[in-house]
Amino acid sequence: MLRNYLKTAFRSLLKNKFTTAINLFGLSVGMTAAVFIFIWVQNEHSFDNYHPSNQYIYRITNTINLGTNNDTWKWETSPYNLGEFALKEIPGIKNLTRCGNVNSSHNIIYKNRIIPEKNCAYVDSNWFSVFKYDFVYGDPSAFNNNNYAVAITESKAKKYFGTANPIGNILKIDTLNYTVEAVVKDNPLNSSFQFDIMMQMGSHITQPRVAKNIHSWGNFNFPTYVLLQDNANVQKVTGMLNAIMNREREKNSANTTLQPLSTMHFETDLQSTSLPHGNRKTTYIFSVLGILLLLTACINYVNLTTAKASLRSKEVGIKKIIGAGRKHLFMQFIVESFLISIVSLLLSLLFIQLLLPVFNSITEKQFVLTLFSFTMWKILLSTLIVATILNGIYPAIMLSSFKPIEVFRGKTILKLNDAFVRKSLVVFQFSLSVILIIGSIVIFKQLKHIQNSNPGYNLSQVVSMEIPYNAYRKLNDEQQEHFFAAIRHELLNSGAVEGLTMGGDQIINVGNFSSGNVDWDGHDTAFQATVSPYSADADFQKVFQLQMKEGRWFHEGKEDEHNYILNESALRMFNMHTPVIGQRFTMGGDTGKVVGIVKDFHYQSMHEKIGALVMKYNNGYDSYIFLKAAAGKIPAALQAAATTWKKFIPSEPFEYTFMDESFDRLYKEDRKISSLVFIFSIIAVVIAALGLFGLAAFTTEIRTKEIGIRKVLGAGVQSIVFLLSKDFIKLALLAFVIASPIAWYFANKWLEDFAYRIDISWWIFAITVVLAMIITIVTVSSHAIKAAISSPVNNLRSE
Amino acid sequence: MIQLEKISKWYNTNGARNFVLKDIHLDIEEGAFLSIMGPSGSGKSTLLNIIGMLDTSDEGNYRFFGESVFDLKEKKRTELYKKNIGYIFQAYHLIDELTVYENIETPLLYQDVKGSERKAMVADMLDRFNMVGKKDLFPSQLSGGQQQLVGIARALIAKPKLLLADEPTGNLNSKQGEEIMELFKKINTEDKITIIQVTHSEKNAAYGDRIIDLLDGRIQQNIQ
Repeated sequence: MLRNYLKTAFRSLLKNKFTTAINLFGLSVGMTAAVFIFIWVQNEHSFDNYHPSNQYIYRITNTINLGTNNDTWKWETSPYNLGEFALKEIPGIKNLTRCGNVNSSHNIIYKNRIIPEKNCAYVDSNWFSVFKYDFVYGDPSAFNNNNYAVAITESKAKKYFGTANPIGNILKIDTLNYTVEAVVKDNPLNSSFQFDIMMQMGSHITQPRVAKNIHSWGNFNFPTYVLLQDNANVQKVTGMLNAIMNREREKNSANTTLQPLSTMHFETDLQSTSLPHGNRKTTYIFSVLGILLLLTACINYVNLTTAKASLRSKEVGIKKIIGAGRKHLFMQFIVESFLISIVSLLLSLLFIQLLLPVFNSITEKQFVLTLFSFTMWKILLSTLIVATILNGIYPAIMLSSFKPIEVFRGKTILKLNDAFVRKSLVVFQFSLSVILIIGSIVIFKQLKHIQNSNPGYNLSQVVSMEIPYNAYRKLNDEQQEHFFAAIRHELLNSGAVEGLTMGGDQIINVGNFSSGNVDWDGHDTAFQATVSPYSADADFQKVFQLQMKEGRWFHEGKEDEHNYILNESALRMFNMHTPVIGQRFTMGGDTGKVVGIVKDFHYQSMHEKIGALVMKYNNGYDSYIFLKAAAGKIPAALQAAATTWKKFIPSEPFEYTFMDESFDRLYKEDRKISSLVFIFSIIAVVIAALGLFGLAAFTTEIRTKEIGIRKVLGAGVQSIVFLLSKDFIKLALLAFVIASPIAWYFANKWLEDFAYRIDISWWIFAITVVLAMIITIVTVSSHAIKAAISSPVNNLRSE
Repeated sequence: MIQLEKISKWYNTNGARNFVLKDIHLDIEEGAFLSIMGPSGSGKSTLLNIIGMLDTSDEGNYRFFGESVFDLKEKKRTELYKKNIGYIFQAYHLIDELTVYENIETPLLYQDVKGSERKAMVADMLDRFNMVGKKDLFPSQLSGGQQQLVGIARALIAKPKLLLADEPTGNLNSKQGEEIMELFKKINTEDKITIIQVTHSEKNAAYGDRIIDLLDGRIQQNIQ
C-alpha cells in the first residue's frame, strides 16, 4: 500500500512540475533558514550540559553590596581561600576546582617568534576531574603533579608540534617554560570554557606578585566550581559557604550563592564576565522566527495544493468510488507532503553545506554539518516532521472529505471557507514579509544614522597602540617619563606621523566609572556624581579635533598637572558656580581648577547617553598611544610604529588597531542583527512571492474561460490584468495594515536600546507599502498579461 | 436483491419542492440486466447513484440483500458497497497517473488483498480482456474503447455482484459501443453478475432483459 502511495505521489508531483518546483524551492529555502536557526538555538541551550555530572556542578557567585544606592556587584569570582576552606569543611561538596586569568592573552615564544594566544587560563589540579575532557595524549595525573605543566587542545598541539605526540615538549609562555603534559580534544562549541591553553594553577599562585595576595579574602579573582554530592542540599551548602565568608572576612558584605552550571550561559546580571554568554530572549526570538519562516514556506504548499484541489477532485472521487476509505486518501496526501518535505530537506542540506561558512562567520562559531551527530538528526528529523504535518494535514483533511457524487455533478468543491483560509494564509505570509522589511529599513537607517552623525571627534588616519604594562612596570616615575618621551620622539621624527597623543583609554569606548569621587565649590555633598575619568595629554584635542566650548585645552609641562577639563554633560550635571573656568575641582583627592569645557563627544557607543566626562592631564605618558598618519602615509606610519615598537618593547608582539575600525566594531552586534533581519526578510519575501506566483498562475488558469468571454465582449488587456491582480493587491494591502503596528512596536523596542536614535518616520511605511505592491504586481501580472494577450479563441476552445 | 420503496428526492427552490425522483418502486432480482432510459433530467443518473450508495434519497426505503441501506452507518455501508458494487462511467474516470495494470489493481489495494493474490487476479483480468500487452501504458495512451475496457476490468476485479454503468458507451463510436454491450451481455449470462445501466440508446437498452423508462422522476414504463 505504501508503495502505491509513494508511486502515485511521485507521479503526481512529476506531473505538476511547475507547482512542484515552486514548492521544493520555497520549502528548501525555508528549511535551510529554520535548520540554521535551530542548530544555533540548540547549541545555545545545550551549553555545558555534556559534563557527566553536570547537574551537580555549581559556580560560586558573590554578590557584593556597595552600600550606596543599594547598588550591588555580582561576581563570578571568589577569593582563592574560599575554595580551600569549602572543600575541607563542607561535607556536601564532593570536589571543587578553580581557574584563574580566564581567557587572558599570553605570548607563546616559539622558534624565536612571539605568538599571542587569546584563550588561556590557569586551572587547578581538580579541573579535569570535575569537568569532562577527552585526553588525546597524556593524562590528568601528570598535569596535576607538575606546577609547570600545560594542557593544550589538539588543534594548538598541531599548530606548535605538528602531528607528533607533544608530551614532554617545552612551551615557553611569556617568561616561563611549561612542559606539555596533556593534549585534550578541542572544546565543544557548547562549552563555556573555550580554553586552548591551560596552565597549572601552581605556576600562577607561586609567582611573587600573585603569591603576595593569594590568601587575602578581599581579592575575588578565581572562578570556583563545586561538584556536590548526589544527595547534598544546595541551601545547606550555600549557608555553610556564607558562614565561612562571614567568619574569615572582616565586615563581610558579600552574599554567596550557587549558580547551577547548566544556567550559567544565560546569566545576565554579572558585573563583568570573562566567559562567553548568551541571551535566552534572543534564542526565543530566533526560534519563533525560524518556525515562522518554516511556516511561511509550508503555506505555499498548503495553498497551492488546496488551490489545485478542484483538479484533483476527480481523482479523489474515482478513488472513493472504487473503494478508497477516507483513511486511504488521507494517508495518500500525507505521503505526498512527506515526499516533498524530504526532497526539500535533502535540497536544504545542500544549501546548508554551501552556506555554512557564512553562517559560521555570523555566529562566530565553527559549526560543521555532520550526519553522525545525534543532535543534527534530531533537528533535521523534527524539521521534517513539522514540515510534513504543516504541509499535509489541512490539504489531506480537505481533499479526503470530498463527496464523490458532488465532484461528478460538477459542483464546485472549493467551498467559500477554503478560499478564506487560503487568503488568510497569504495575508499571514505577507505580514511577516512586511514586518521584516520595515525592520530592515529601520535598522539600516539607525546604523546609517550612527555612521553619519558627528561623534565629536575625527578618527580618520588614527592608529592606536596599547603599551603593555609589562613593558614599563619595573621603571620608576622618571624612567617611565623618559621611556614614553623616547617613543614619542622616535615616532614623530619618522616623518610619516602628523600628530601623536597619549590617553588612558580608547576614546571611543571609555569603560571607567567612578562614583562619589568628585567635589567642587557649591557641591551638595549628598549628590554622588557618577563620572568617567579620562586622562589625556596636551596634543589630544588637536589629534582628535575635539571642539572647545569654553576655556582652553591642557598645556604641556607642569602647569596643568592638577587641572581638569569637563564636557558639557558634566557641566550640566554639576551645576557649578559661574564662571566655571577657574573654579576649584577635586577628583580622587587631587585638587586643581577647571581650565576648559569641551563639547560633548561620544566616548561610548551611541547605545549609551553621553555622561559626565572629567579629563585630567596625564604628564605626557599613558597606556594608549594614538598616532595620526600624515596624509597618504599610513603604510609608512605603520612601518615606523613597528620599528619603534621592536626597539622599545621587544618582548611583546606589535599590535595596533585603526580607530575608525574600532569605532565600527562597537556596532558589530547591531550590524549582525541588521544583516540577519535583512537576510530573513529576503527569504520571507522570496517565499511569499513564490507562493503568490503559483497561486496567480492557478487563478489565471481557472479563469481562462472568463477571460476569453470578457475579451470577446471587448475588454482590453489593461482591464483584464487589473481584474486578475486586484484580489492579490487587496490581500497585500490588508497584510500591510495588519503588519505595520506590529512592526512599529518591535522596531521601537529595538530602538529603545539606543540613547541616540532615529524617529520611525512615515516614509518607511510608505516605502514598504510601495515595495509590497510592486512585488505583488510584478509577481501576479506576468500570468495576468499572458492570459490577457492570448487569443480568446484559444481560451474558449479549451472548454 | 434490490428493493426500492417509495423513493423520492427533491430540491427546494423558493419554498417549492422540485422533484428529481418521485415515489419510485423497484424490485431487481439477482442476475437481472436492467436498462434505465429517459430524457436528460429525468433522474436516471440520480436513481443509479442512489442504488450505487453514492447518494441518498429524501424519502423512502432501500434494501440491498435485505439490509436497509439508509439505516447503515457510513463505515458499514462502505463495506457493503466495496464488496458488492462495481461502477462504470461514461467518461471512464481512470486515474491518469496510474498504468492500466495499476488502475485495475487499485480496488484490491483498498480491500487489503494480499500482494500475490492481487497479482494473480489482475493477470487473470488482463488476460480475459486481451490487454496483457497494454498493461504498462497510461490511460492517455489508449483509445476510448480501450479505456472503457480498463474501466470495466477495474469494476469487475473485486468480483462484485452488481455492476452499475452510467452511459458506458456515451463517448464511444457505435462499433466500440456494440463491443462493450456484447461484453456486458456475456458478463451477465456467464458470470451471473447483475447489471444496471443508464442509457440514451434504444439499441443498447435492448441488450437488457428489462427496461424502465423514467420521465420527470417517475417510472413511466416498466418492460420485462
